[in-house]
Amino acid sequence: MTGHIWRNPLYFWGVEGAEKEVPSIPHKSPQDVWDETTASKAKMLPVGRLRYYYKWPGHGGLTWPRFRYWGTRRRALNIRSVYNPKTMRLEKTIVDKRPIWWVLGLLAFMLAPLAMPASFQNTLLTAGATFSIYAAINLCWMLIIGTAGIYSLASYAVVGAAAFGTSWLSINLGLPWWTLPLVGAGVGLVFGMIIAVPAIRLDGFYYALLTIGLNELCRVYALQSKQFGSSTGGLYGADTYIPQGWDQYDQSLLAYYACFGVMLAGLALYRFIDGRRLGRILKMAPEKREAFAEATGVDFRRARIWVFVISSIGLGFIGGFYAAHYRGVSFSIFSFDTVLLGLAMLVIGGIGRAEGAVVGTAIVILLDKVLLSTGPLRLILIGLIMLGVVLFLKGGLFGIKAQFRAWRDKKKSERRSMRAEKGGEMLPEEATETKDKDLLYWRRYDKMQREFLKTVISPELIEEHRKKPLGQHSEPLERLLLYFRRAPQNDKYAIVAVEPFKAYRIVALSGQRGVAPRIVEDKIYTSTDEAYHGVFLRRVQDLLES
Amino acid sequence: MDVGFILSNAIVLACIYGTLAIGLSITWSSVGLINLGYGFIFALSGYGAWLASQYISTNGVVVLTAGVLTGALGGLLVCALAFIPIHDKPNFTVRGLIATLAISLIGTQALLYFFGPRSKNLPDIFGFWKVNVAGIVLTSDKIGNVVVSIVVVTAVLLWMRSSRRGLEIRAMMMNPHAASIVGIGVRKTGFYVMAITGGLAGLAAVLLSQTYYISPFGGLAPMIKGVSIALCGGLGSVRGAVIAAIILGLNEALTARLLGGQYVLITQFLLIILILLVRPRGIAGILDRAREA
Repeated sequence: MTGHIWRNPLYFWGVEGAEKEVPSIPHKSPQDVWDETTASKAKMLPVGRLRYYYKWPGHGGLTWPRFRYWGTRRRALNIRSVYNPKTMRLEKTIVDKRPIWWVLGLLAFMLAPLAMPASFQNTLLTAGATFSIYAAINLCWMLIIGTAGIYSLASYAVVGAAAFGTSWLSINLGLPWWTLPLVGAGVGLVFGMIIAVPAIRLDGFYYALLTIGLNELCRVYALQSKQFGSSTGGLYGADTYIPQGWDQYDQSLLAYYACFGVMLAGLALYRFIDGRRLGRILKMAPEKREAFAEATGVDFRRARIWVFVISSIGLGFIGGFYAAHYRGVSFSIFSFDTVLLGLAMLVIGGIGRAEGAVVGTAIVILLDKVLLSTGPLRLILIGLIMLGVVLFLKGGLFGIKAQFRAWRDKKKSERRSMRAEKGGEMLPEEATETKDKDLLYWRRYDKMQREFLKTVISPELIEEHRKKPLGQHSEPLERLLLYFRRAPQNDKYAIVAVEPFKAYRIVALSGQRGVAPRIVEDKIYTSTDEAYHGVFLRRVQDLLES
Repeated sequence: MDVGFILSNAIVLACIYGTLAIGLSITWSSVGLINLGYGFIFALSGYGAWLASQYISTNGVVVLTAGVLTGALGGLLVCALAFIPIHDKPNFTVRGLIATLAISLIGTQALLYFFGPRSKNLPDIFGFWKVNVAGIVLTSDKIGNVVVSIVVVTAVLLWMRSSRRGLEIRAMMMNPHAASIVGIGVRKTGFYVMAITGGLAGLAAVLLSQTYYISPFGGLAPMIKGVSIALCGGLGSVRGAVIAAIILGLNEALTARLLGGQYVLITQFLLIILILLVRPRGIAGILDRAREA
């Protein structure tokens, strides 16, 4: 730094008071501050910053005429097709791939009997049939728990009541098998009406506790009554749809596909309630938000009764089918453990989604059947899984993706707020609130400028200014002074003449018309140059402190 | 079957179920947890008392204490598993409900695994004697049950009214947020509450086992009775629970006398539904506004 010299060009023109050479500092480029500030300091992680979608090629002519279900505007797949402005190509993106997984999964389930090993065939076919029936029950239950958000635990009671009723009718009145589901649907309707009445008045837990009690009531009543077979542990001997003349394998296969059909019907019912008007009404009026729904003109009470009635008819239908499938029904359908296992299926899969109900059922049935030899241990295992899911997951297995994304976004925003530089720049929250976005860029630029000018300030410059406050200066001092002069009027320093040519004093302008400047210090300067230098020193100090 | 016999039975059952209902009610109102693992705590403390009677002593006080202590331990277990990890997470009430159900599933199956399906019975802790009051024969276990349950519940309520910890619990009942602001630890109080209510369940288990047997799934029916009474009286209200216990006990006695034993549950639920349709928060339910905040 020493020995660096600024040659005054005015000296050679003979300007009064111009020195030939003034000690100064080496040149510093303002570009460095700019480069340093604008460089990205974000840690670039190799994965997980953007969602990846495969881009299918497309042809422009095929963008709009797509396959739609007849009579609706719904498409089989939600495909978004846009032109990429850089490559000028059509890119098709499958936004929602779930229908593909559904079709593949159901196809696999349909073709599974072909691939089953011969030794386990019978077990697996029976397990598959059980799975399908329970999946259908859980889908209907999910309409109440998931879509309507009402914690009813009486769904198995409805199924059991329908199964017991139809079995009794079939045994005593000789009803043929094909009437059983229909009669069961009627029983379910009556039962659904009965359990829907308290649901209008009671909320949440009162209702959950009441339905547990109803379930227990059904169990005790069936256990104690002679006509429901309290001595045999259940009611058996109903008519069945499986021809008794067939051999064992054909019977199992027929049962497998019949139950599969019931599950498909359950899926269709779920789709048609949950995805359409009724489901949307119910989902916008969950517990604790009824007042809002009512204020917007939604009749949620009616919707709740409807969903109870529809799902109870479905449950009753399944109950009738259950009786026709197993040729009867045992008391275990009313037991508390059945309700708990059913709830475990829903919770493990994720409440509020069809895939949750089906996959959760598959997991629990698989554990239940595969580990049958371990006795109570398998139920303990299922309970542990259920507890783990409740404690750690928000939406069951199928909610893991969303939960992970939410967690990652939280972490991202935490890091972003740690990166944000304070002072000069605005905080992220402030930046989104301010109307004048120009202000953001002005502050950022101003901060860079101040940082650069702080590096420039040195004893040489101050000395140079002291000698000659006005006139031509060296390049760094000139930058400094230009910055000071451009400051806004508010709180800008000025000089006031107390007595011309004898006494000057430094004041700060108010920046408002009609408001007098305030006096900054008591010191009296004897000349204008001295006062100019005093202002300069104050400004330098303010700059260094900012 | 005379009226006095039925009436005395109903009073005994009302006392025991009332104890359970008060336990459930206190749990819900102070920590906001619907403890459906209560049946498991009930069965667990029954087995605890049975173990004590097998290996320590058949003395009534020892058996009763063992039952209450095991119940308190069960309550602490449920608290540590279902309250501590999720009490500050979103959707706590539903998740807590499901978590206690899961604990109930695990616990009852574990009891089945360790003790087998055969039910056990406890010794007669109140001895064996009879009193004839105005033509009604009162056996020792009836008098003992009523006296012990009333004494213990009264002691608990007095303790809650007069002690420092009781003040903390009542503060939590009124407004959990404000309580935590003035320095009442939510988790610590949660442990106290769950230990006390677990102890009440243990007491009820030992008392009820004078009439019924102890089995892994034996806690379910008493829990449902207790839940019904708590519901009917209004969750969170001790006075409501007492009134509901008397009403339901009367209903049970009358139905058994007039219609027959198998109709007891039906009339009971019709009565509960009727009461809840008229007063959706139960007979004395007042607390939900504060809980929602």
